[in-house]
Amino acid sequence: MSYVQFTIEQIKNDWGIALSEQVGIFADSPEVSYSNWLAETLQYNIPLALAIATEKARSEMIVAPILIELKKQYSELPTDWVKSD
Amino acid sequence: MSYSQFRLEEIETVLGITFAKTVGLFANIPEVEYSDLLKEILRYNIPLALEINSEKARSEMIISPILIEIKKQLSEQISLFSGKEFNVDTEKRLNGVCDFLISLSPEQLFIKSPVFALVEAKNDNLQSGLGQCMAELVAAQLFNNRQNNRIKTIYGAVTTGTNWKFMKLEGQVIEIDLDEYFLNNVGKLIGILRSGIEANITPNIPLKP
Repeated sequence: MSYVQFTIEQIKNDWGIALSEQVGIFADSPEVSYSNWLAETLQYNIPLALAIATEKARSEMIVAPILIELKKQYSELPTDWVKSD
Repeated sequence: MSYSQFRLEEIETVLGITFAKTVGLFANIPEVEYSDLLKEILRYNIPLALEINSEKARSEMIISPILIEIKKQLSEQISLFSGKEFNVDTEKRLNGVCDFLISLSPEQLFIKSPVFALVEAKNDNLQSGLGQCMAELVAAQLFNNRQNNRIKTIYGAVTTGTNWKFMKLEGQVIEIDLDEYFLNNVGKLIGILRSGIEANITPNIPLKP
């Protein structure tokens, strides 16, 4: 058994997790600007990944660069950003 | 059965390939300049991929950006495939998914003219990927012969991202470079990758569309 084998029914029944379905929970999150690096990367990579049309290409060319941008944005925050609330 | 299940000895016994081992087969190929974008990507990604230290991270953060740079440099002459099925001959067990394939054709929707096969090494062990890479080279040759493609030599590499081992198939002989090449010289890696592709570009004769 591994993560990919779980069904939604098992999550509900075996783990007692309640599912509440709503539309647009994240729709109001404001947009965030991102680097020229990511803009340039995606401009080239998105058509290429869509042409290759495999999960692996989408991971390497679209998902990974977005997550790396996210990591870069956090590393640029001051080190005490977690507490500054 | 698929490419990844080929053992090295089966390349000889089952596929009838002879091995030639050479030290420094690709050593004299000059380094090639590469873009500031790739420099910036690798400066950030290499330490991150090495800390994560998984085959997937190495592919996403090191190998894939280098191959995309090569596609940009050669623009419309080549196409790049990642994780694409390449089924050539089920009886010979030449089928399955290829980690990366470079095709000498602008056609990006399907594999038309494979010229370079790259295999991600498992468990940081280049040796483990040799049989897989060689089986893909043989499949590419068979495919090109059927399609009457003008590809004389097919090139291959097994890589962990940090270490790269290169080889080439011509006729029934696979010549393998006993030396490894390293990520600390990206220009050299790009030079070797491009030299394999460009060795098959016939001057003055346009590529098949």
